Order: sequence, then structure tokens, then C-alpha cells
Amino acid sequence: MLSVKGLKASVEGREILQGLDLEIRPGEVHAIMGPNGSGKSTLAHVLAGREGYEVTGGQALFDGNDLLQLEPEERAHRGLFLAFQYPMELPGVNNTYFLKAALNAGRKARAEPELDAVSFMRLMREKLKVLHLDDSLLKRAVNVGFSGGEKKRNEIFQMALLEPKLAILDETDSGLDIDALRIVADGVNALRSPDRSVVLVTHYQRLLDYVEPDHVHVLANGRIVRSGGKDLALELEKKGYGWIEGKGAKVAA
Amino acid sequence: MINSPATSVTWEHWLDGDPDTASGGEPPWLETQRRDAIVRVRRQGIPTSREEGWRYTSLKALAGQRFARRDRTAIGVSSRDIEPVLVPGLDAHRVVLVNGIFMPSLSVLDGLPDGVRVGSLREMLDSTPDILAGRLNRLAGAGGRLFSALNTAAMDDGFVLMLDRAVEVACPIEIVHLALGGDEPRLAQPRHLVVLEDGARATLIERYLSIGEPLYCTNSVLELTLERNAVLEHHRVQTESPNAFHLTGLYLSQAQSSHYVGHTLGLGAAWSRTDLMVRFAGQHAECDLKGLYLAGDRQLVDFHLDVDHQVPRCASREAFKGIVYGKGRAVFDGRIHVARDAQQTDAQLSNKNLLLSRAAEVDTKPQLEIFADDVKCSHGTTVGEIDPQAIFYLRSRGIPEAKARRMLCLGFAHEIIDGLRPKPLREYVAKEVSRRLDDVALSHEAERRN
Repeated sequence: MLSVKGLKASVEGREILQGLDLEIRPGEVHAIMGPNGSGKSTLAHVLAGREGYEVTGGQALFDGNDLLQLEPEERAHRGLFLAFQYPMELPGVNNTYFLKAALNAGRKARAEPELDAVSFMRLMREKLKVLHLDDSLLKRAVNVGFSGGEKKRNEIFQMALLEPKLAILDETDSGLDIDALRIVADGVNALRSPDRSVVLVTHYQRLLDYVEPDHVHVLANGRIVRSGGKDLALELEKKGYGWIEGKGAKVAA
Repeated sequence: MINSPATSVTWEHWLDGDPDTASGGEPPWLETQRRDAIVRVRRQGIPTSREEGWRYTSLKALAGQRFARRDRTAIGVSSRDIEPVLVPGLDAHRVVLVNGIFMPSLSVLDGLPDGVRVGSLREMLDSTPDILAGRLNRLAGAGGRLFSALNTAAMDDGFVLMLDRAVEVACPIEIVHLALGGDEPRLAQPRHLVVLEDGARATLIERYLSIGEPLYCTNSVLELTLERNAVLEHHRVQTESPNAFHLTGLYLSQAQSSHYVGHTLGLGAAWSRTDLMVRFAGQHAECDLKGLYLAGDRQLVDFHLDVDHQVPRCASREAFKGIVYGKGRAVFDGRIHVARDAQQTDAQLSNKNLLLSRAAEVDTKPQLEIFADDVKCSHGTTVGEIDPQAIFYLRSRGIPEAKARRMLCLGFAHEIIDGLRPKPLREYVAKEVSRRLDDVALSHEAERRN
């Protein structure tokens, strides 16, 4: 589904990703872990198409297509979703209106019929129920005045509604209490299916107690320095990143 | 440009009242007011850009334009003509003025409770002038703006709304100020008076608009007095012709514990100037004044705000937002004055502007003049573009860039629009704003291509 090879990217002239390889097959959940500044968020943003990141080498294929040539909205239309670490507040933009615009933009681009107000509301209620969310969230402006946890839950709600093929969660678990963490996990688990994939970018092992990953990768200095099963996350939790970074440095040398 | 027309043009033709009324014996107090106004206008002349209030707004085009005198016989409008300009679904008592003239045949005023007087200023001046004595020109006279003096000199008609003590009008009262084109550019200088006596409550909607896109000028003045405990919601929506000049002066005086909630929207006209003047006359009065302005190509919009806290323990909250695009220009000048005795004043002024193109321009000047020491005052001004991060957020959800821009622009405007009541008015205004912002993305795109 996603095939990243030798990806290099810079921000303001500084190279953050230094030849990254990542292979994600349909149905898989990958966790990407690593210390601060290792390039985790950069990877997420480059894949979603944020401006300000310069790709200087390598490639990323999404279902065989060159992902990096696509506009951010085209990536979304083809099934890529990024849950933001810091979701934007959009004053005056009603959450329901926003969700409907997003959903129908994708359907229109894929030549599917757009949902009318009634079917859309039905779908929303259904998704809210799955995630045990309150519908007061829908009447408010997007993320305005939301607590940190509410913003993250809103991201997961968007993900549930848009049903992406590949969801990338950029530190969605950071700063969450246990209830909010469960909602995030529920959202991810509800999305899991043989033809959908998830990338969990995270600093901590905690989320992985609720969402069991198929693969765990450790990112350091802009490269994946180690990959393994879910046990790797537990090992990291015990030994800290210093252990891996030391190894990474040795490999580089 | 050596023979600048500004030096040879005067306001003389603005001072001419209606030839019919000039001869028809008005009350002596009004004759005096008119004479004083004429003297003042002649003495003061046309303001230049050296005057602080006109630094960023040129009067050249307006002063160089010749306007015809008003002509009552030219008005032949039927109810059917105004049908298309009504707000769908708005249930309101309605007054219609055409080119500044009160039109009883188009107005719908049945069902108003006792103790409400709504009518034509002209008619009241002719039949019951004593009611207006001491009220008309009380707020806009001495110390008023030059254009208010012009209005005083030449005013002929307008609407009067008076609510007796404790009278409540549940249904909004809507004033439709309709402009029609004629053979020549026309000047209308309507004068309006609103008085809510102690404890009275009402919602007043004013709309300034035209049929077609004629060139004309509206120079209106509204004097508004809230007595003790009176509550007024006041929504003003200006969607004049794209070729029109629009001047409006609102003079608001608030007695003890009165509450004013006002929204002023400047969406239309080629050139517009809005002066909002608030005076607190009693303690514990509250004023919530919000506004939204749009300016695109060949549009200038100018808002001047003057809030005067002369007495203690009053609150004023002013929030104005502007969206300027294409080659549009906006001016915002917000002044809050807190006198030495006005202790425990709570005054908040904010002005936020969104510039959508490189050629768009805004001049904003908030001023807090505080002479009391125990006050809570703040002001904030921002001028910026649409947050690129917010655009990316929307695009990452599949929303195309042009639509993302539009959604964020409308969201910015909605923070003001959402305060409009009742719902049909809010929806009407949302559509008007949305329609005008349709070109926004295009103009931005065009600019980027160049």
C-alpha cells in the first residue's frame, strides 16, 4: 500500500529525513517510535503533503502512484489521512459543515455520489456511537475552545468518518488521559480491516497496549534504525531510546 | 491636476432642501438648527486629508460628483417591485423608504402594540412637531460630524420610532432604505429618530440597498436614545449599489442600565463611510457593538467609532472585522474615551482584518484615551492573511484549496454574522457575504499567476 524508499527531506535547509525506507502492506498496523527530533513528525507531514518540507531524494508510492507529486487534497481523496499532533482551530467554521465538506469532497473526487444532509447526519450519529462521543462536538466551531483531549477525539472522529485506506496518527496519544486514549484506540481498532493500514507515530509505548501493532520501527536521525514486532516497543520502554541511538550511531560509524 | 476640482467644488448643492418644504413653515427651532448647520458647513468647507478623520479616505470623488435634487414625483414603486429585495422568511413590522422618502403604501405596520409610534419624520414635522422638539438634532447637533450638519440643513424625511415606557415589541421592526436610480445621480439625506423610553424593548433591523446598480449618494443620520433600562437590538446591513456613495452617522445615547446590542455590516457601495458615536449618559449601561466590512475591487469602506465613557460603571465591547480583497481598501478608526470620572469602566475594542491579496489595503487605528485610574480597558488589532496551516488542515481532509480559503474567510465573517437575529436575517446576510466572497479565491489565484 505504501512503499517508501530512500526518502530524504529537509526543512529550512536542514536535512531531517536521511534515506528512510518503509513498507506497509494492506491490513497492517505499524508503530513508528523514536526520540524527539528523530524525524517522526516530519515523515508524517511529508507524506500528507505539508508545504515547507523539501523532498531531496527517494520516493513514496501509495498504491503504486507517486504520492509526493500529489496535492494534499488529492492524497486525501485517494485515502490518506493524517491525524494532527496539534489540530488547527478554525474559528467560525462549524464542525458539521466541515465534516460534510470533507466527506463529500472525497466522494466527488472519486466519482461517488455526494451524501445529502439526512444521510450524512445518519452516518455521523452512527460513527459517534461507535466512538462513544457526545454530539455537542458537532455544533461547535472546529476545535475552537476544545480541550487537548477533545481535539484529538475530533481527529479520530474525522478519521472514522472519512474511512481512509491509510491513516497516519501523529502523536495522537500524547497528552491524553486514559479515557481519551481508549477512544483513540477504539477509533483505530474500528478502522482495522484487511484492506486498511495504520501508522502510529508515537513517543510512548502506552497506546500500543490498546492497539496491537504488527510492526514496530525505531526512527533515529532521520532513518529507521531498527524494526521488529510488538516486543520491540516493550524493550524500548524498558531500556529507553539511548540504547537504540547508541546502536544507530555505531551502525552509522 | 493643477486645477484641482477640490478647490472649486463646494457642498452648496447638498444644502438645498426639497423646494416644496423649504417654503412650508417649519417650526422655528428647526429653522434655527438648519441655519446653524448651513453656517457651519460653509465655514468648515470640505474636509481635506489633513484632518485626522479623513486622513485615509479621500472625499475627492464625492465632492466632484453632481447630484440632482430630490423629486417626490419620480417615485412610483409598488409592493411588487420591492418583493425581490425582502429577506425571505423574515417576520417583521416593516417601514419602507424610497430614496429617503417614507412610503406609507409600502410599509406594513399593523399589529404594533399600543405605545409604539412609527412614522414619517416629514409627516410628524408637519402635524405634531412638538413631539420632535428637543429630540431632533439633540445628539447630532453640536459636536456632530460635518455630514450630519449637511443632513440637518437639507433633511426632508426619514423614519421616527418611539416606544413608550415599558413597551415591548416582540416582532422585529425592519426599516428598508431602498435606493432607485433615475435620470441623474440622486442625493438622499434621510434623517431618523429612535427613542426607547424607560424599560422599553425592541429589535430594529435597518437595511440599506438598491434595485439595480445605480449611482447615487445616501447621507443618513440616525439619532438613537435609550432611556433607563431600555434594551435595543439593532442590526444594520448595508448592501448598497456597487456604484453608490453611502454615508451614515449613528448617534447613540444610553441612560442608566440600558443595553444596546448592535451589528453594523458594510458590504456594498463603492465608497462608504460609517460613523458610530456612543455616549453613556447614566451608570451601568452596556453597549455591545460589532461589525463586519468587506471591500473588494473599486471599493472603499471606512468605519469610524467614537465611544465616550463620561460616567462610571458602564461597559462597552466593540468587535469589528474586515475582509479586504482584490484592490479593496478599508479604514477603521476606533476611539474609546474614558473621562476622569468614569471609574470602573469596562471597555474592550478589537479590530481584526483579513487581507486576501497583495493589492488590498487596510488602515486601522485603535485609540484608547483613558483619564480614569480604576478601569478595565483593552484594545487589539490584527491585520493578516489566511493562516496557511489552517488551509493545509482543510486540504489534508480533502477540501480543495480554493474552497478551503472560502471556508476560512466565511468562518472569519461568521463570528460576527452569528450574532444576527432573527435567523432569517442571519441566513440572508450569510448568503450576501458568501456571494461577495465568491471572487475571493479567484482574485487570489489570478494574482499568484501574475
